[in-house]
Amino acid sequence: MQAMLNTGSTIEEGRLAKGGSKLTEEYTQECAVCEMNPVDFQAMGSPQRVLISAMDGRHSVSVYAYAADSVERGQIFMPRAIWANVVVDPETFSTGSPLYKGSPVRVEATFEDVLNAGDLVLKLYARGR
Amino acid sequence: MAEILLRPKGSIGIMVEAEVISPNIFAGKNKAEIEGLLVWQGPVQLPLGEFFDVDVRSAAGLPERARPEETSILIEGDISRVKRIGQGMKAGWIEIHGCAGMHLGAEMAGGSILVQGNAGSWAGMGMLGGLLHIAGSAGDHIGSAYRGSWRGMTGGTIQIDGNARSQLGGGLVGGKIVVAGNVENFCGIRQSGGLILVKGSAVRGTGAEMNGGTIAVCGAIKQFTPGFVETGREENPKLGDVQLEGWYAKFTGDYALGKNPKGSLYCREG
Amino acid sequence: MMASKNIVCPVCGASCDDIQVELSGDKINVKNACKMGNAKFQEIVSSHRISQPLLREKGIVRPCPWEEAIERTAEILADASRPLIFMGSETSCEAMEVGLHLAEFLGAAVDSNSTVCHGPTAMGIQEAGRVGATAGQSKSRGDLAVYWGSNPLESMPRHMSRYAVYPRGYWTQRGRFDRTIITVDPRKSITAENSDLHIQLRPNTDYELLSALLVLLHGKRPHPSVEKVTGVSISQMEEMLELMKSCNFGSIYVGLGIASSYGKHRNAEAAFNLVKELNARTKFVIGALRGHCNVAGFNQIASYLYGFPFGLDFSRGYPRYNPGEYTAVDLLRERDVDCALIVSADLVSHFPAACAEYLAEIPVACIDIAPCPTTMISDVVLPGVIDAMECDGTFYRLDDVPIYFQPFTKSPFSNTKSNADTMKQIFEKVKALKR
Repeated sequence: MQAMLNTGSTIEEGRLAKGGSKLTEEYTQECAVCEMNPVDFQAMGSPQRVLISAMDGRHSVSVYAYAADSVERGQIFMPRAIWANVVVDPETFSTGSPLYKGSPVRVEATFEDVLNAGDLVLKLYARGR
Repeated sequence: MAEILLRPKGSIGIMVEAEVISPNIFAGKNKAEIEGLLVWQGPVQLPLGEFFDVDVRSAAGLPERARPEETSILIEGDISRVKRIGQGMKAGWIEIHGCAGMHLGAEMAGGSILVQGNAGSWAGMGMLGGLLHIAGSAGDHIGSAYRGSWRGMTGGTIQIDGNARSQLGGGLVGGKIVVAGNVENFCGIRQSGGLILVKGSAVRGTGAEMNGGTIAVCGAIKQFTPGFVETGREENPKLGDVQLEGWYAKFTGDYALGKNPKGSLYCREG
Repeated sequence: MMASKNIVCPVCGASCDDIQVELSGDKINVKNACKMGNAKFQEIVSSHRISQPLLREKGIVRPCPWEEAIERTAEILADASRPLIFMGSETSCEAMEVGLHLAEFLGAAVDSNSTVCHGPTAMGIQEAGRVGATAGQSKSRGDLAVYWGSNPLESMPRHMSRYAVYPRGYWTQRGRFDRTIITVDPRKSITAENSDLHIQLRPNTDYELLSALLVLLHGKRPHPSVEKVTGVSISQMEEMLELMKSCNFGSIYVGLGIASSYGKHRNAEAAFNLVKELNARTKFVIGALRGHCNVAGFNQIASYLYGFPFGLDFSRGYPRYNPGEYTAVDLLRERDVDCALIVSADLVSHFPAACAEYLAEIPVACIDIAPCPTTMISDVVLPGVIDAMECDGTFYRLDDVPIYFQPFTKSPFSNTKSNADTMKQIFEKVKALKR
């Protein structure tokens, strides 16, 4: 489905990021997450994991899926962290600030593994380093 | 008459700022003088000849004698990483066979610019006069005020055959902007005069904080600006020298700005 | 064991200055800090702290002497034709000041976290002006708080208890009972659940909602389409506006819901205009919930030194400002810089993929305290000193009040006293190379 991505802080994301734990499994469990409206979640077959893709199809990322009443239909919420930012629209409308809130994305059930932050960097941004 | 041909020598890395590419500056100069004009790349100034092959032709008489209004500049190739071309030009002609970078024709007062491809953001910013024709699509802030100012373009014409993104004609005071395609957000924000005609559709913020002047949108507006109040309908309205066809709903606004705004917004019906 | 009081927390914009710590050997006991604050204080004794400089050569990372790391960083900056200097927010104004001067010296672009945070809010202030107040004012007088696109219970946990909702102020003796809380958020956030009124607007419609409130304030009825666009009924807008008009002292705390969503600085501008006009009826102020520690500091320092709050370009020798052109995300997306120095920020995690990809292609040096995606792609990693714990300096709080902080321990590194010190060493080396 197509959805409106909202990213934002969560207290646990903050605790782990400020505590220097970005490369830990706990951070992955906490932040490689997509919260969906329960109706959307069930319509997708209550998947364990979903693949979130940018609309231009250039970038996508696999994360754990959960149903959450706090999210409206057609919207998804992801904690602000490396996973969400893979699919955030880099366009800034000449303001310098990308669309961290309100980026359109595609969401589909997936069997793709969820990578931790370190492996995600190696997969997406390793280049010749 | 002088015709100066510029061909980019190769792909450009760090973007170049080349406000020297202007008929007012090229006029009366020979090939070597033009090649030696300095442009900026990051914090370094380099001669124009580093980036372009320069060819000077003369139709009649010596090119060194040509005045700005007799000078045309032809650019063959993609210069989307070259900014500020034609900035502040007052006369003459620039034609770009490719895409142009940011600030094209910013603050131009006269003459003409034609881009066959797309133009980056801030083209025609604070324009005073002349014609800027973008045959492709354009970025943000086309024909708008500079940052921090509420008074933008005061005269001249901008014509865009494709689409424009956000903040088109921000703070427009005078002149005319015609977009054949669609616009995105805040087209005509803080407009106080002049005319914007959008033949396609708009996303949101059309005429936001507008206090004067006219906007007409022929397609749909996705998120209508709440501060516009319908004042009637008009068939085939004539806006300045632009004749529209069909029925239009006419609105006044933006009442979010104050109690007595004088902006006019025409939306095509059906 | 060493006990210290009134320590300033270097985590979020609240700059809480009542932290108590007891440091003994490899244990630290922290009182009064929130979950995020406590986690950062634990960094003092953590096992993953970056303890020595690292250098990457031909894909292999090795520890290196301090001088070599400084030298290599300076070379990266001096050899580039257009460097980007990124001063993150979890460091002092003193370090930021060196970064700004270094950028001027190099003709570089310099930016800070503000650019992806409340940059658009700062642009809104430039468009509309701002009626503001210190946090203490709102605490003493405020009887209405509006959290607009912000969720302080998750992002600034003590904001409600220290400044805005629960504390007993001079004119708000009953604390929470003397205050009304409105939250504007597309999500039923935990803050929304704890509010008296939750305006649940559709995403990307803040501008229309703000604009409609201004139209109502001017005695006109907003265009009826606004109900469908925002998902909020006009009667609910009227209810909200009535609460705002009838309070004694209202405060709006805008979050990234305004700055990061579609509309950006125009959202902020509309919010500032609404607050200006509400002052014709009652006292109303507005401020941003600055998520990061000293993100307000960069705006202040850059403004008073060079006239612009963020996204400065020095390529012509004088400061220029044009968000979208000289701002970090745009420069990286457009591949318009050729090296980066990143201080106390994790751009690879927090910038969109197109920017992170390019950062991985160009030479990068960084200063940080713990391993993160940015240290992973860096050619040089210099260990960071933790401000407010290991060195003194200045932060600006969310309400732009400067807070001088003193440490309770000292830098664990013999080669540097603070990030400001490290930056000065880099600057000296750059000057030597450019001479």
